[in-house]
Amino acid sequence: MDGMEILIPGICGMGMHLKMDGFRLVYTLIAVLMWGVAGAFSREYMAHYKNKARYYVFFWATFLATVGVFLSADLYTTFIFFEIMSFTSYVWVAFDEKTDSLRAAETYLAVAVLGGMVMLMGLFLLHNVLGTLNMDEIGPAAKAVLEGKETFGNGQAICGAGGFASPKVQLYTAGGLMLFGFGAKAGCFPLHIWLPKAHPVAPAPASALLSGILTKAGVFGVILVSCVMFGNDGGWGLLITGLGLVTMFLGALLAVFSVNLKRTLACSSVSQIGFIMTGIGMSCLLSWAGEGNLLAVRGAFLHMVNHSLIKLVLFLCAGAVFMNLHQLELNDIRGFGRGKPALCFCFLMGALGIGGIPLWNGYVSKTLLHESIVEYAHLLEEGALAGAKAAEMGQGVPAMLLPILTNPAVWKAAEWVFLFTGGMTVAYMVKLFVALFVDRHPVRQAEFDEMSSHYMKPLSRFVLMGAAALLPVLGAAPHLTMDRIADLGQGFFQGTGHAHVIAFFSLTNLKGGLISIGIGAVLYGAVIRQFLMKPETGAEKDGGRCYVNRWPSWLDLENLVYRPVLQVALPGICGAVFGVLDRYVISVPLKVFMAASSVACRAMDHMTDGLVVLMRKTVCRQLPEPKAHLEGNWLAHVLGGMVDGIRLLWEKVSGKRREGQVRISAVHHFIEREKQMKHTGVLVEQSFSFGLILFCIGLCLTLGYLLAVFYQGM
Amino acid sequence: MILLLPVVCPILAGILVLAGKVFRKDRKSLIGVSLAVLVLEAGLTAWALTSGGSLLVWRLTKQMDVSFHVDDISRLFAALTAAVWLLVGIYSVAYMSHEEEEHRFFGYYLIVVGVLMGLNFSANLITMYVFFELMTLTSLPLVLHERSRAAVMAGLKYLFYSVAGAFLALFGIFFLAGTADSLAFTAGGVLTDGMIAGKEGLLLASALCMIVGFGAKAGMFPLHGWLPTAHPVAPACASAVLSGLITKAGVLAVIRVVYFIIGPDRLRGTWVQSVWILLALMTVFMGSMLAYKEPVLKKRLAYSTVSQVSYVMFGLSLLSPVGFVGALSHVVFHSVIKHTLFLAAGAIIVTTGWTRVEQMRGLGRVMPLTLGCYTAASLALIGIPPFSGFVSKWYLASGALSSGTGIWSWAGPAVLLVSALLTAGYLLPLTIQGFFPGHDFKNEEIEKRKLAGKEPSLWMLGPIGVLAAAALLLGCFPQSLVSMIESIAAIVL
Repeated sequence: MDGMEILIPGICGMGMHLKMDGFRLVYTLIAVLMWGVAGAFSREYMAHYKNKARYYVFFWATFLATVGVFLSADLYTTFIFFEIMSFTSYVWVAFDEKTDSLRAAETYLAVAVLGGMVMLMGLFLLHNVLGTLNMDEIGPAAKAVLEGKETFGNGQAICGAGGFASPKVQLYTAGGLMLFGFGAKAGCFPLHIWLPKAHPVAPAPASALLSGILTKAGVFGVILVSCVMFGNDGGWGLLITGLGLVTMFLGALLAVFSVNLKRTLACSSVSQIGFIMTGIGMSCLLSWAGEGNLLAVRGAFLHMVNHSLIKLVLFLCAGAVFMNLHQLELNDIRGFGRGKPALCFCFLMGALGIGGIPLWNGYVSKTLLHESIVEYAHLLEEGALAGAKAAEMGQGVPAMLLPILTNPAVWKAAEWVFLFTGGMTVAYMVKLFVALFVDRHPVRQAEFDEMSSHYMKPLSRFVLMGAAALLPVLGAAPHLTMDRIADLGQGFFQGTGHAHVIAFFSLTNLKGGLISIGIGAVLYGAVIRQFLMKPETGAEKDGGRCYVNRWPSWLDLENLVYRPVLQVALPGICGAVFGVLDRYVISVPLKVFMAASSVACRAMDHMTDGLVVLMRKTVCRQLPEPKAHLEGNWLAHVLGGMVDGIRLLWEKVSGKRREGQVRISAVHHFIEREKQMKHTGVLVEQSFSFGLILFCIGLCLTLGYLLAVFYQGM
Repeated sequence: MILLLPVVCPILAGILVLAGKVFRKDRKSLIGVSLAVLVLEAGLTAWALTSGGSLLVWRLTKQMDVSFHVDDISRLFAALTAAVWLLVGIYSVAYMSHEEEEHRFFGYYLIVVGVLMGLNFSANLITMYVFFELMTLTSLPLVLHERSRAAVMAGLKYLFYSVAGAFLALFGIFFLAGTADSLAFTAGGVLTDGMIAGKEGLLLASALCMIVGFGAKAGMFPLHGWLPTAHPVAPACASAVLSGLITKAGVLAVIRVVYFIIGPDRLRGTWVQSVWILLALMTVFMGSMLAYKEPVLKKRLAYSTVSQVSYVMFGLSLLSPVGFVGALSHVVFHSVIKHTLFLAAGAIIVTTGWTRVEQMRGLGRVMPLTLGCYTAASLALIGIPPFSGFVSKWYLASGALSSGTGIWSWAGPAVLLVSALLTAGYLLPLTIQGFFPGHDFKNEEIEKRKLAGKEPSLWMLGPIGVLAAAALLLGCFPQSLVSMIESIAAIVL
């Protein structure tokens, strides 16, 4: 689709550049759909909250900012909207002002500000090297830099001179910094920490949007960096794929162990973002290997779309639970869904979709992603990258990465990680489903059943079911629906090669899905039912009825029994290491840095003052205060001492002495008086002698006159 | 002649206000006259700026004269000064009613704006130095206003630092007066190669002296110490102008010296430039770090000024057009933003009496509009788009990256970003605790004193709102400002 472009110069300095093309169209429509559904749902969900106006203002402000991110045509505009989006969505997380929410919001804001600033640094560098931030222009420009050319295609010389390194290194640094910023928002592995905290505490419609589309704004940036800038760079592809696989696996693992409905969904979001990242990485790798990468591109894009739609449905289902029970722990809410077919339908659609069950939409995108890994492994096995070609390809890639990139066994392993994670997805969705709809609550089941008629208002029910019905429609007729969506979107990814029609329901393709489902069933049966549940204990045993042994008290299991074991065993390798990383690697150096630099800065702050003080104490010392003037006459001392003594005596005798009164010794009085007398004496003396002098002069003159007269007379 | 009016009018009016007995007793006439003069001042400034020209006021000796001239830099600074001074004046009407001896405040307030105009219009180094010293002396009473021991000590510190800085600069002026034929401001500098032959080292040393000396007013390390001491003790409206405009006078002086007397080409690539960049970056980091550690709001804002004005210094020290644009736009933006912040802090103090940040939990229930304006200004200062600080920081960082100053070209932006993170760390907690105090939050003080929903009067809220809106709008539509500064940059560089 040919797009239209809007360029508003001057906004925020560099102008605002918006554009509409296939990818942007799809995501704008998804945004409208999601905000519409979540907004309609909010009417019921938010009915009993204070500060509704605040919620709605920031709800729609975030909508505008998010659409702005997806429509932006240069990274400058992207950044502007991205920051607005981060800050307005902060209000969602902090919304109910509970302690947990405020803590989660703090984490969210910290990650958002940090990510934003790091991304900004990346943009500075990118702008410096490429001289442009226009998304259409950065691709060719980056290519020119990576190929080590002197000038860009249009003859303009590559800038970045005077930088700290060659343009190529600068470009990679810029890419890494931008990946950090966008990856933080996407919830990619080392920076996913905000996600499992923030989603459970936000209002459900907001969590649906946070998870469904705000993370995609991050993915949008990752696509830009990966597919547009480093489209056929093997090393970069490996990095993204690796991050994707780790994120995918870790998220699913956390989800399997989680006992909170929304937390499980949040961890699942982390995992699904991992799937998307894997697809993006594979598209780089396939393109590096010289093959068409449409398989990976379409898989990644469709998985983005699917995940948005599925998470909308699932989080709103969780919202329906929460607005009735105000609880999300699986133990408290189990059995809530019984006898509520509408809720069951919606949740089931979402669960089947995300679990990658054939005929639902998640299956289509996961199959494409799986196929892309298989294709790459297949290429390696065929030896397409062997010999001369490998040497040629290897030039752009650090030598130590080559064995990983070209070893088929690595990619077989990646495929199995992928399939195993798919299995875990199935397992945790089954767990949620069973908890909500199959199990019974030991105490409150009757109460739950009674809610069946009025747990959701018609409007909420209608929009939720509408959104849920979309999922099987997309999945059952992939060629009619999803292929067309993919056709619209793939241009943005710079996909190469030609799309061949894929028989999604052929046996080879079904095999991958079925393996995952099989793994999921085994995991659920063997791990979840066996290890992650334990028999109910205590007074809640309900007369020996059959469900007693089926549902464990989860919190006990987590905190007391299995957690120590599990942290050493299976997730221990990941969990403990990442926990330490999470907790100490960032915070300890930060604290040390803060402490040291604040001391240093304080020292700098006082340096000049200190210098002055030092000089006053040493070189420019003040002269000692002259001692109390006690010279005077001996008489003054004697008299003064006597008067002092008498006064002291008098005060002691008469008891008139008051505490704290400052007494001035009479000696000083006498000395003062004596000085005064001396001074007066001096004055008198001086004036007398002055008179004498005048007298003498007068006398002399008179004598002279007399003499003169006398001589004249002679 | 018209150039003299904006300088002389407010000074005469200020002296009248200080001397006239009627102004001590009758508050209405004091306020009326002061505001009338401020409005008149704005009008006169606008007239002077549009008509432009130059004016010889007084010839001291053959080489030294006091004369005025209007160029684009004067226009930028003078327009900013007149507009902001008027807004803060309106705010002071409500704020100063809580203080004693208003006539003294308003008298000096009027005098200082006249002196600042003189500084902005000065056409040569001598005139500028005269008005620079005058500014120090006349703004001192604003710091001393409360007449408490702390205020007097802070005032003395302010005086000593300013005078010490000015004397450092004076050394440079002596050197230049002996070297150059004329000290009239000329874009690109007045020195020729012949004049400085054999004296290059001395030139550089005196350049550094002048940068550091005038930098004292701009709060640049190592002579920044007066700023965090003097600002918190002054009344909020005085600290606002001290922080937002008086520090900018230091910036103006540095611009005049480096870009109009010595010439940027003579400093580019020398050790002076490196030292200057280093000092600026150290100040940027130190200011925000100490602000982050500071519990008293006004002092925190003062440290923030130390940091932010050195963003401007950093931009100037790059000696590149893009950095220059970033620096001058940050002058305008920071001035607007810091006024908003200080005025909001003053409103908080007047209404609630709270000075420390941790006391201000739940402030959103007391004065949501004021806190909203504070938040807008905070986001602008951090540099969150579309607020204004973002635009200037963009230019600063891209100017640094393309400046070709070696290690500084990327260390500079890195420091700016770390400082931006710290800025978020010291400004946003007030917003967060103010608007999200926790669901079970109950402040007995708010209830007992019936503070809930008690916004300050419109006299205060109006200027705060206008400035906050300016912080946003200047960020959204900076084009005319940026192109004006770009044209200046094209002339001087």
